[in-house]
Amino acid sequence: MEVVAIHQISPDQVILFTWGFVTVNATLVYTWLIMAFLVAGSYLVTGQLSTDRQVSRWQNVLEVIVSGIRSEIGDMVKEGADSYLVFIGTVFLFILASNLFTFIPGYVAPTSSLTTTAALAIMVFFAVPLYGITKQGILGYLKEYFQPNFIFFPFHVMGEFSRTLALAVRLFGNLMSHEKVVAILLAVTPLLFPVVMQVLGLLIGLIQAYIFAILAMVYIASATQSHEETGHETNRNHK
Amino acid sequence: MHIDWFVFFAQIVNLLILMFLLKKFLFGRIVAAIDAREAKIAARFAEADRAREEADRAAAVCDAKLKDLEARYEEMIDKARRDAEEYRERLLEKAREEVEFLKKRWIDAFRSERETFLMELRLLAGQQIYAVTRKVLKDLADVDLEERIAQILTERLMALDEEERRRFLSEEADEEEGRLVVVSTAHEIPEDVRRKVAEAIRRCLPEEVEVEYRQSEDVLGGWELRSDGHKIAWSMKDYIDAIEERFNAALHQEILER
Repeated sequence: MEVVAIHQISPDQVILFTWGFVTVNATLVYTWLIMAFLVAGSYLVTGQLSTDRQVSRWQNVLEVIVSGIRSEIGDMVKEGADSYLVFIGTVFLFILASNLFTFIPGYVAPTSSLTTTAALAIMVFFAVPLYGITKQGILGYLKEYFQPNFIFFPFHVMGEFSRTLALAVRLFGNLMSHEKVVAILLAVTPLLFPVVMQVLGLLIGLIQAYIFAILAMVYIASATQSHEETGHETNRNHK
Repeated sequence: MHIDWFVFFAQIVNLLILMFLLKKFLFGRIVAAIDAREAKIAARFAEADRAREEADRAAAVCDAKLKDLEARYEEMIDKARRDAEEYRERLLEKAREEVEFLKKRWIDAFRSERETFLMELRLLAGQQIYAVTRKVLKDLADVDLEERIAQILTERLMALDEEERRRFLSEEADEEEGRLVVVSTAHEIPEDVRRKVAEAIRRCLPEEVEVEYRQSEDVLGGWELRSDGHKIAWSMKDYIDAIEERFNAALHQEILER
């Protein structure tokens, strides 16, 4: 079953329903499915949480994931890791779930749509100043744009936009291209090789989710803490 | 590259909703569960630490008590040993004293018995020898022992020179009371022997002297002429003394052998 034809570059182009400016396309539908999966799974597992030594298997899985995200955030910020957990965690889990379900035939990752990745990037774009102002105050946050002196203000502003664009396009490009590559390979060598590519796709999906979340966290961390403290970490993590 | 702005905003809204739902159903709960468990673990560790501290304290207290007990035990043992040693010494001393006392008493009793025995021996031997001698002399030589003794005494009196006779009848003696010569014998003397002796005395001693006969066991089968402070005697005392000495030596030898 081919949802997105080879000539169509994103699932946005698969329109299921249109009513005025309201358009329901495959991206939205798959997003809802992912959301439903995540929420329903969480709801079912966290319904009966145990705080004793005996922990159910699924609770253990979720605890491993959440602790992993927390510790990754904790590595980057000195304190208040939990305040970033919901945003970073949601972004990471959404992208991860979107990317990993690509092994299901007929499924198209919403993250292979530029609209979705742009929405994610815009959220990061707004989250950075939001967290920055919350932590440092508006003056403290704005002062960072004039470091080391005012000449750098335009470059900082440009940096904000360019990195948001880079976030969106990186995720979209990776996922979309992978799908296209798989589709093309399926046409050329229908046996075995596409399976290898699918496995590779899972790895790429995981890595991209990790990269997106980590970069978002790096941007937020750089905004919430002074450049002197996080500068070297930012440089190290920036790809 | 096409961006559907409705979808774009719809995705933002979707993500916000997802964020809200996940916060409610996933992160909030899981973080709460993890924190609760960590708190529990921390509490358990704290409790374990406290329990261990308590145990350490208790162990220290027990250790101290044990050491104290050991020290006291040693002390008590030492004291008991010292006491026992002292008691033993005391008992030994007491036993020694008792033994000494018993020995002394035994020796005293023995000595006393020996004395008594020897005394009796002396007496008996004296009597016996006297009797035997008298009988033997009478049977073999038809000689009367008393007479013979009287004769010997008379001879001795006769043998005294003037000076010695005078000394025998002490000068210091009272003149008016007369001179008294006491003849002591262990046995009764027959009257004729008495007369002979009295005559012999008066013959030897120039002054008028009174002769008195007394029976005394001290002379031990002999005769004794006594004036004031001086005496002339014949007795078997020497013979009996020799016998006693031999007996005494024999007894002493027996004691040493025991």
